[in-house]
Amino acid sequence: MKEELGGKLQFELDLSQPLYEQVWNHVRSSVAKGVIGLGEKMPSVRELAQMLQINPNTVMRAYQELERDGLTETRRGQGTFITSDPIKVATVRESLAQAAVEEFLARMDGLGFTVRDVMQMIRSKGGNGE
Amino acid sequence: MKDVAVQCDSLIKTYGGKRALNGFTLSLPANRVTAVLGPNGAGKSTFFRMLTGLTAPDSGSVRVLGHAPGWRTNRQIAYLPDRARWYGNQTVAEALDWGAKLLPGFDRPRAEQLLRYMDLELQMPAEGMSRGQEARLMLTLCIARDVPLLVLDEPFAGIDLISRERIVSALIDNMSDREQTVLISTHEIVETEGLFDYAVFLENGRVALAGETEELRRERGSLEMLYRKLFG
Repeated sequence: MKEELGGKLQFELDLSQPLYEQVWNHVRSSVAKGVIGLGEKMPSVRELAQMLQINPNTVMRAYQELERDGLTETRRGQGTFITSDPIKVATVRESLAQAAVEEFLARMDGLGFTVRDVMQMIRSKGGNGE
Repeated sequence: MKDVAVQCDSLIKTYGGKRALNGFTLSLPANRVTAVLGPNGAGKSTFFRMLTGLTAPDSGSVRVLGHAPGWRTNRQIAYLPDRARWYGNQTVAEALDWGAKLLPGFDRPRAEQLLRYMDLELQMPAEGMSRGQEARLMLTLCIARDVPLLVLDEPFAGIDLISRERIVSALIDNMSDREQTVLISTHEIVETEGLFDYAVFLENGRVALAGETEELRRERGSLEMLYRKLFG
């Protein structure tokens, strides 16, 4: 089980961006997508540091951010677990979606499209705007 | 900077007319893993030798763990010199015995545990070891010491990929277990840069740039890109 989760957390790091943010984002999106389930046990800081071959302090910092998000909880003597509260996961999923939309709109804005243009494009792609 | 492990001010060191260190000023944070980077001849090894008192500056001051370098501070430093070799006639077990007897802070059980990471066996003689195996033995002797400062001068130079990965794993394990200041010089930047939380770039005996690796990544890209920008 643990090895399975370890496999899910294995990913390619981009060395030109802060590493802790990548670890943090990777776990958040894996939980939002349901790749990592509610209540699942996270690898220890040491295990994930070994898996990604990075400084344990970097993993620790990502874990602190996850805990601040309410996405994980640390049980004394047992380790770190993904929250079993689906509302917290929904909140994180929502905020990731918001961020994706903002990023998308900023790019469209950079290309000179208004929100109205964007809405039209989405409709023409089959979205009904509801 | 909260706790400073190493403080160098205006160091000058000349070898036969060449300035190895030329106004070298640097503060290094305690309990962090620092990369010491720069082209050959930038002053990396001279800086490390100064920390252990093997070389004295012509002028300027060095403080390591709050004191001038000397035998007292050396008890608290595990130092792997550049191109280090072990005695050919000794086995791994004898090297560990030697360490237990002579190296302050040497933790024998920890050393034996490290051997597994390093894929070395007690009965292996140093003679006939590959460069990678010998590097792993030397590193085991350093990492097995419970001391506040670990200084590794090019621990990855000229060794194979598997040896390097084993060493990196042992270092990560070590970082998880203890609070220690670690300084590592290397040219294998891409392969090791995830290890570092602080980086120093040296050029012509001076500090060209120093900072937190995550901040450097956010503002200027990977350590490798920075290296190319500075020295390319």
